[in-house]
Amino acid sequence: MPMTDMPDFAGDLLEEFAARRTARVDTPIIQPAEPFLDIAGEDLRRRIFLTESERGESLCLRPEFTIPVCRRHIDNHIGTPKRYAYLGQVFRQRREGGNEFYQAGIEDLGDKDAASADARAVADALACLEKIMPGTAFSVTMGDQAVFEAVVAALGLPAGWQKRLIRAFGQTEQLEAMIARLAKPAPVAGLDDHLESLLAAGDDAALTAHIEAEMERTGYLTNASRSPAEIVRRLKEKRLLAGASLDAEKLAVLKEFLSLNVSLRYAPGVLADFAKAANLPLNAAITGFDARVAAFANAGVPLGEVTWRAAFGRPLDYYTGLVFEVTARGGHDVLAGGGRYDRMLTLLGAESHIPAVGFSLWLDRIEKGRAS
Amino acid sequence: MITIALPSKGRMKEDSAAIFERAGMKIVAVGNDRSYRGRVEGVDDIEIAFLSASEISRELGAGSVDFGVTGEDLVREGLADADARVEFCARLGFGHADVIVAVPDIWLDVETMADLGDVAAEFRTRHGRRLAIATKYWRLTQQFFSGSHGIQLYRIVESLGATEGAPAAGQADIIVDITSTGSTLRANHLKILSDGVILRSEACLVRARKPEHEGNPTVERIIAAVRAAL
Repeated sequence: MPMTDMPDFAGDLLEEFAARRTARVDTPIIQPAEPFLDIAGEDLRRRIFLTESERGESLCLRPEFTIPVCRRHIDNHIGTPKRYAYLGQVFRQRREGGNEFYQAGIEDLGDKDAASADARAVADALACLEKIMPGTAFSVTMGDQAVFEAVVAALGLPAGWQKRLIRAFGQTEQLEAMIARLAKPAPVAGLDDHLESLLAAGDDAALTAHIEAEMERTGYLTNASRSPAEIVRRLKEKRLLAGASLDAEKLAVLKEFLSLNVSLRYAPGVLADFAKAANLPLNAAITGFDARVAAFANAGVPLGEVTWRAAFGRPLDYYTGLVFEVTARGGHDVLAGGGRYDRMLTLLGAESHIPAVGFSLWLDRIEKGRAS
Repeated sequence: MITIALPSKGRMKEDSAAIFERAGMKIVAVGNDRSYRGRVEGVDDIEIAFLSASEISRELGAGSVDFGVTGEDLVREGLADADARVEFCARLGFGHADVIVAVPDIWLDVETMADLGDVAAEFRTRHGRRLAIATKYWRLTQQFFSGSHGIQLYRIVESLGATEGAPAAGQADIIVDITSTGSTLRANHLKILSDGVILRSEACLVRARKPEHEGNPTVERIIAAVRAAL
């Protein structure tokens, strides 16, 4: 039986993928659910279709391609660099649109030149869209977690606070709440006097012994979860966090950075001016950012159609640098979304570090866009 | 005909019956005392269905009953978009239980959800797995952790009973569970995070939102009578 619901431009897209030197892969529709929940978090659970095998293994209908493509790459011990393309159905519980729809995309694994691989991903996404939506003007929004990390580091906050801010990057409300908290030091609940004195004296050994004895007494398995040493380490870190605050000037700098929203054509200048005015040592981050902008230009990405929004990020720990979205100019539907996910392959069990960048195309939205 | 679902057993059954009686709606079983159907003495257009508390929340969601008395926790856990599908007409003052986040007492460094966020973020690196939460409240946990506190990286371990024993047994690291007095938590050496109360639940009179309720005098009478009896 022919696949009648396959978008009629699928053939054109596959041609474009082949012309862009990718290897087409397919993955089973029924996938183990574990890797998706583990990597993308429990929040995904209510958005996927879960079932169980007779033996109790948790299975799901493929909600996306990146994780299955990466797992396949790891399981088959394939060398890098490697460029994969996919086109197939994915299944998600959505408020708008159907629950089963097509996605296509490219995953670019193992290219050590991040700037050029980033640029190629954006150029590939735009070329694919131009092929299947000819005559449409597109807008690209991009963000870069690496620049945010550099700004946060340059502000001189304790490492724990830097990690908190980075974790909230891309979640406006959480980030605003943290910035508000950083305006003044917050007291922490005290421990009992004996423990406070051990903490004050820096007697880690006695603290650890106390926790160990307590775990023993209360029947906790000291090896099953957090160890006494880990609790002591974080207890000390937490005292540093509690005392930390940012003065008004530095808070203003952080807020100003997050409000930057400019055409990529002017972004290098704006970022350099920002660093200079705020007197922050951001040279390494700026060099990386500028290299990417140059690579975008080399790859033929029209810089005037790209907007850099400093606060744009995704709050998952495997995203590390570039994130981007493509819409039709003036439109709201995200037609393509992608980014760099250097930590994912290690999280999925790869033995060596494999840098990765990719994007996926939302074929149902593209179909709608073509029709109108 | 308006159908009211009431708890079929235990304290919840007695307390519901008492409120309805005070509201001038004395509930009588149809047939014998153990029957699962009832009616309101002297009233013909109301029928009573005796169901278990979790069935009541499900039937409210499906709209197969008009009203139900059940715990807010079960409704919010059982139904996506609860407020769009049902109306909480009255809080009845019994069946109090808080849905809370509790961690081992000995986690001296964890007092708040922000602390827990720090621990969760590093858990994978330190332990080779995500932070595990034992609970039967999947939806409330996800909303609270992911939605309200921006904590994405944890795993839920389903626990249908004796949840508070899971951390000591090594089945999970922390729990999300209900507590009324906190004594079970203390007995298991667990503490509630200072901002770790997800929901202060109690038994409620809940109405399934149905278009035909609009302007129905029986519906309005039931709500007004129960409110007046509190």
